[in-house]
Amino acid sequence: MRGGAARGTALFVAAVLAVVLLAGAPASAQALPGQALAFDRSKGNCLTCHDIKGGDAPGNVGPALADMKTRFPDRKELTAIVFDETKRNPRTVMPPFGRNLILTDGEIEAIVDFLYTR
Amino acid sequence: MKIVRAITSVAVTIVIAAFVVAGARPAAAADSIDPDADFKAFRDYFTKRFPNVPLNDFVNGPYSMDAELRKQWEAIDDFPPYDFAIDRGKQMFATPFKNGKSYGDCFADKGIGIRQNYPYFDLQSGEVITLELVLNRCRETNGEEPYSYVKDEMASLTAYMAFTSRGKPFDIKIPNDPRALKAYQKGEEYFYTRRGQLNFSCASCHVQNPGNHIRTEVLAPALGIVAAMPIYRSEWNGMGTMSRRLVTCNSQVRGVPLKPQDELYRDVEYYLSYMSNGLPVSGPGARP
Amino acid sequence: MRMYLFAAVMCLVTGAAQAASTEADFKTALAAAVAAEQDAGALKNQWIPTEQALAAAKKAAAAGDFDTAIAQAKQAEALAKASIAQAKEQQTAWKAGVIR
Repeated sequence: MRGGAARGTALFVAAVLAVVLLAGAPASAQALPGQALAFDRSKGNCLTCHDIKGGDAPGNVGPALADMKTRFPDRKELTAIVFDETKRNPRTVMPPFGRNLILTDGEIEAIVDFLYTR
Repeated sequence: MKIVRAITSVAVTIVIAAFVVAGARPAAAADSIDPDADFKAFRDYFTKRFPNVPLNDFVNGPYSMDAELRKQWEAIDDFPPYDFAIDRGKQMFATPFKNGKSYGDCFADKGIGIRQNYPYFDLQSGEVITLELVLNRCRETNGEEPYSYVKDEMASLTAYMAFTSRGKPFDIKIPNDPRALKAYQKGEEYFYTRRGQLNFSCASCHVQNPGNHIRTEVLAPALGIVAAMPIYRSEWNGMGTMSRRLVTCNSQVRGVPLKPQDELYRDVEYYLSYMSNGLPVSGPGARP
Repeated sequence: MRMYLFAAVMCLVTGAAQAASTEADFKTALAAAVAAEQDAGALKNQWIPTEQALAAAKKAAAAGDFDTAIAQAKQAEALAKASIAQAKEQQTAWKAGVIR
């Protein structure tokens, strides 16, 4: 087709795509990367011990992870718990995800981001 | 003076003799090893934490902790999944080696009804002897290849031997010998030491969290935890020996397992078995 | 033209020199990781991820990917050292959990 018509079509297609993408797909289709890490058995594997909304068949060794913004207003505190809870509680059974190199710093940040949505 | 000294030395000799004869160990000084005190504290911890669990029920592991799980277990009890292992073990036990000897020749009472005495500390060799170890040494002494400690043949033999001891109370002895006490203590140390990338000790799950769930699994209490070995484990679709269980516990916390029947594995089995003294042999067992 | 030739030869030479030093770097990194893992073995406290990183390092090196191989070897060394630290700390810390 001619230049003008082609450009018009392209713009139209772009506009449609923009509307579809920005319209806000359902939350489950856009899970935070931190949720995938938290629920992955080879990564955070948090559901083994913690009840977290969005996860199935959780364990109960640790407390349920809810109201996280209220309970941990200081992000540094929550990050430290994931990194190495033995510092705060030497008797904890929570793995030291940071100290023992189970998760990278970036992965811990992503999981903390996700926890703040619970 | 001479008489007093004579009487004193006689009295001391009698006291020492009494200890030796009774097999008791002198009262512990600080920092010395006191299995009897440990035993009492261990038992009290679990009976206080679970006052509604009858003492003998602890040998049923997770079923003593969770009523729902118990119902499922009782439902399969008519056709226990380990029956095939007992039958096979009985047959293996009765089959002589190529040289005409058989397993019974390596045990007291021809190996029947003696499982509750294992492990024991061998004063001659200075090591902990487990049932699995004796079985393979028996094979090797009689010109046969040893079995893998983590596979079905060993599981069948120990399933049969446990079955012949069902209900008999564990009767583990720690002789008053520094090497035996050391082995016991090394077993205790192994049990409480954090290991693996995940930083768990055996106690993390079985002392701190019995009855709690990891995902859908119910954690067993450490009291009586060896009593049901070997077990048919549904998750494994088959039998698991004591060795297999220790190896997999290590790998589950991302620790490289030791070789089956490693000295430390035998020490921890010795420790846990002593802690189960008086509780009935319940093996072979079934677990989820 | 001669300048171009000279530049091209220099590129080849430095490129080849870099490739050789990367393999040497890998061997150094691997040796350090293996030594640390042996120390962890003496303490009977090796971790599975350490063994996995060592295997990945060797595999990458065999395929000529020394960047990955060195990264994996360094990760293996870090894991081995963490397992040694755990074992050493636990030599006394284990007592805290004993039922008394």
